[in-house]
Amino acid sequence: MKFGSLLKKELRELFTKQMVITMAVTMGILIGMGQLMGTAMDDIIQSSSTINVCNRDDSEFTNTLLSGITASGSVRINYIDIQGDDYASELMRLDVNNAVIIPAGYADSILEEKEPAQLIFISRLNLGGGFMASMEGISASDVISHIEMASTDEILLQTYGVDPEDIARIKSPAALTEFTVSGSKTARVSPAALTGIMMTQALIAPMVVFFLLIMAAQMIMTAVSTEKIDKTLETLMSTPASRMAILSAKMLAAVLAALANAAFMMVGFAFYLGGMTGNAMEQITGATAASLESAEQIQLSVGQAMLDLGLTLSPLSYALFGLQLFLTLAIGLSIALILGAMATDVKSVQTLLMPIMIAVMLPWLVTMFMDISSMSFIFKTLVYLIPFTHAYIALPNLMEGNTVMFFAGLLYQTIFLLICMYLAVKMFTTDKLFTMSLNLDAGRKRRLFSLKLFK
Amino acid sequence: MPYVLEVNGLSKKYPKKDVFAVNKISFNVDEGEIFALIGPNGAGKTTTIRMLSTLIQVTEGDALVAGHSVVKEADKVRRNITYLPDEAGAYKTMTGHHYLEFMAGLFAANKDELYKFTARAEAICGLGTRLNDKIGGYSRGMVRKLLLARAVMTAPKLAIMDEATSGLDVINALEIRKMIKNLAREQNMSFLLSSHNMLEIEYVSDRVGIITNGKLMTVGKVEELKNKYSAANLEEVFEKVVLEEKEGGADEIR
Repeated sequence: MKFGSLLKKELRELFTKQMVITMAVTMGILIGMGQLMGTAMDDIIQSSSTINVCNRDDSEFTNTLLSGITASGSVRINYIDIQGDDYASELMRLDVNNAVIIPAGYADSILEEKEPAQLIFISRLNLGGGFMASMEGISASDVISHIEMASTDEILLQTYGVDPEDIARIKSPAALTEFTVSGSKTARVSPAALTGIMMTQALIAPMVVFFLLIMAAQMIMTAVSTEKIDKTLETLMSTPASRMAILSAKMLAAVLAALANAAFMMVGFAFYLGGMTGNAMEQITGATAASLESAEQIQLSVGQAMLDLGLTLSPLSYALFGLQLFLTLAIGLSIALILGAMATDVKSVQTLLMPIMIAVMLPWLVTMFMDISSMSFIFKTLVYLIPFTHAYIALPNLMEGNTVMFFAGLLYQTIFLLICMYLAVKMFTTDKLFTMSLNLDAGRKRRLFSLKLFK
Repeated sequence: MPYVLEVNGLSKKYPKKDVFAVNKISFNVDEGEIFALIGPNGAGKTTTIRMLSTLIQVTEGDALVAGHSVVKEADKVRRNITYLPDEAGAYKTMTGHHYLEFMAGLFAANKDELYKFTARAEAICGLGTRLNDKIGGYSRGMVRKLLLARAVMTAPKLAIMDEATSGLDVINALEIRKMIKNLAREQNMSFLLSSHNMLEIEYVSDRVGIITNGKLMTVGKVEELKNKYSAANLEEVFEKVVLEEKEGGADEIR
């Protein structure tokens, strides 16, 4: 009964109206941004598969080759008319960001003069457009590739009278079959297609871990320090409620609040990332498949390949990942509880949160940009010593079958948690809670003061 | 009749500090008695109170609350006391009613007892319909009244109060003093008070202990102390005891 009352009280303290509103608003903003990103990505895909062509040559040769490009289905041709050579105002007038001009005499140059013909490609520079702008529009190399291929077809057909079937054979004398190896398993799939999907997973899982940890840590630190500063903790600790019940109610409430926060946040992030990466598959398959039908086939084969390579998680793996997440969270909470109990005022809570933020963020960044196994022994050891690292590498370890590494991480985290829990319990069952304090700001103030005096 | 509180050579020395914050103090509190501990800032009053409330550990000596040792039976001690810290707050997101119910739940053995404690506290605090409002919107005085009601609602054997009336206006402070006196007389509750307000102590307490530099210098009824130190009031007694201790002329109570 006492534990229930304590838990209810802790939850009431954490789940305030402000917190629920903040969670809902954050989720709404992320969903909204996801929709915007999705629309922007659709525009990008549309623009990167469209060639704006100004055909000044307008010969039978160029008309046939452009029809051939359209018929292949790989890109769409948008016919435009660029007048003069003031390209800046012409692109603005036509409301396009790039264009290719096939100059007059293009066909003659190829067919009569036997000289390489000149193509003009114009592209607008958009420095303020950010990451999305850098992806927008078709590249010059893609344009030249499409027109060159079609030109070659026409030259072989018109000048040398080569049969279209022979042309296809000449242009593609070899067929590529791609295999991907992961751990000890092999599957017939392109690694590029696989990486696209894996990237989405690799982004979301560590993000959940990161937000969960930071939120839970901040919540419990604020809860404990506020109770200590308001002296409600003194009142609580002098009641018949057991110290362990007080401690565990605080930790459980923080876990529940963090999970709720993370769930809201992750739904938002799923929409947000879905807007940006949801079309990744479309882009990958679009580059290799001309029709929707074959794109679907590739998606199916990627799904099968993930199964074959063991890159999907079994229920046991999910359970193990859940256990690792729980250990990580419990470690974060224990450290936050100890630091929060040492705070002397609300301001110092923010300062004391910094070491946790760094310890959580550092391995996230390291695992995002680097391969830990390729680091030097010292750095590798240092990164592995941070208990949160093991949560970030848990999924790849489980997927790649690095069970030794996974269980070693789990064991290390368990030992680390036991030490943290021991310290937290020690703090709550002795007078350390009321006699220990850590005020990093005080030191800084003293230094600033002495600097002022010195001047 | 056994004492409700029996303090025997209680000492506290904080790590990293050479001096004792509380140095071998001994006193006792009878059933239904109001005992006041007074002394200058940093004299060791709050440290003593915190040791008796089982919040901080005892370095040497012991104290028995209702026959239970604060050193060995802290859990049992906590069932017999309530503690009201100086400048304490309450949970701002709770209503006054929820707060009382929550705190009563930590002491009550069953639902009937919980309702009894809550009803008693609601009657004592006199906050009426404001009990349905969030504590975050209460004035300092209202919070103090709520906390005082919380401290006595379970009719503990010993209520420990640090600056019981701090933050209250004259009228409210008077009410609280009367309430403490009535609870002691009518319900045989014992109180251990700490205060800087000499008038309050003189009015409310049965006996007074003066503590300075961690040492309990004198204990007695207000009138006895006035006679002993040839003083007109408790304030003068306090001044003389503190001066004597500084000059090293006074013997502490052991």
